[in-house]
Amino acid sequence: MGEMVRIPGGTFRQGSPPWVLDWLEGEDQAFPGKWFGDEAPQRTETVAPFWMDRYPVTVGEYAEFVDATGYRTDAERLGHGMVYGSRYWEERPGATWRTPSGEPVVGVEDYHRHPVVHISFGDAVAYAGWAGKRLPTEAEWELAARGTGFRLWPWGDDWKPDLANTAEYHAGALRSPDQWRRWWDTVHSRTGPMPQTSGVGDFGPDGDSVHGCSDMAGNVYEWNATLAGLYDESAECDATLRTVMGRYRVIRGGSWMNFRYQVRCSERMYGDPGGWSNFATGFRCARDAEEGGP
Amino acid sequence: MVTVVLSSAWTQGRRSEFEVAEGSLREVLRALAENQPDYRHRLLDGSGEPLEYFNVYVDDEFIPRRDRSRARVRPGTTVTIVPPLAGG
Repeated sequence: MGEMVRIPGGTFRQGSPPWVLDWLEGEDQAFPGKWFGDEAPQRTETVAPFWMDRYPVTVGEYAEFVDATGYRTDAERLGHGMVYGSRYWEERPGATWRTPSGEPVVGVEDYHRHPVVHISFGDAVAYAGWAGKRLPTEAEWELAARGTGFRLWPWGDDWKPDLANTAEYHAGALRSPDQWRRWWDTVHSRTGPMPQTSGVGDFGPDGDSVHGCSDMAGNVYEWNATLAGLYDESAECDATLRTVMGRYRVIRGGSWMNFRYQVRCSERMYGDPGGWSNFATGFRCARDAEEGGP
Repeated sequence: MVTVVLSSAWTQGRRSEFEVAEGSLREVLRALAENQPDYRHRLLDGSGEPLEYFNVYVDDEFIPRRDRSRARVRPGTTVTIVPPLAGG
């Protein structure tokens, strides 16, 4: 279960160099430059060798865990999960990892190969413990996504929409939230709030990272073990992001919902670890190299 | 008056801080939605009641869902509204 790749470790500059923030400011995208300020300044991180799941944990793998333990996810206990409905985000009754739109999955081939969603931080930690693994730290995740040299996306600095499951893969180039909403309206009218995930590894090997990890850009948001924190207190960033520092957990990789800018290797997001989950958030696991191979 | 801070992900380059009359948290959120209708769908449900999916901090103190209905916001305080998935 859970094929793993050995990441050799190393010392690297985590985060985005100044030119990336300048580039983002100049791009035709919706967010102000300050929104990305939490990616800077870069800081030097040294990561020991470790094992990383090649793919996000799948529905089939999570089912094995649940079958073996009787575990109930937070969404199952609460009775709802968050989906993007016809209007906006909503807490949809019955939306769980088994029924991500709130209804039985129909018409999706090999759904057991898709990454599991509606997974809270606690749900991810519980699975990892059962599997004899753990969640990756943020530094491990970024190193696995891009290696020690900087690159915007796992394959390099040139955006290639066919190499990652993002909204731009499904809809073509997107420049504004309004364009995104028009795309989502067409999807939602056809399938309801069914996540547009893809089978893990479907975008490999060309979309894989230098270390051979798939789906590091897009498909599902991935929980990291690391508590949210600025790289440096001097960072200029959004006031609400400052509020989550020390409270939320890091989430990396972006998802099928995102534009190209949100699936960059150094892009940072944060999730409420208090039981929240949604239909685009999953995880992958790591393991210390000293503990041997998978 | 109280200050309400919204995420730049919501405001996308526009103003992110707003002044609203003090009162109960419910009244503050409803007043903000009335003054800033672009954000109404993010703040209120179809019947005009505050949605619960986002997190609320009053002067950096987290207000749990169960306490929101009786929470009051005093003059001069800052209310920060943060979605459960932040950043991006």
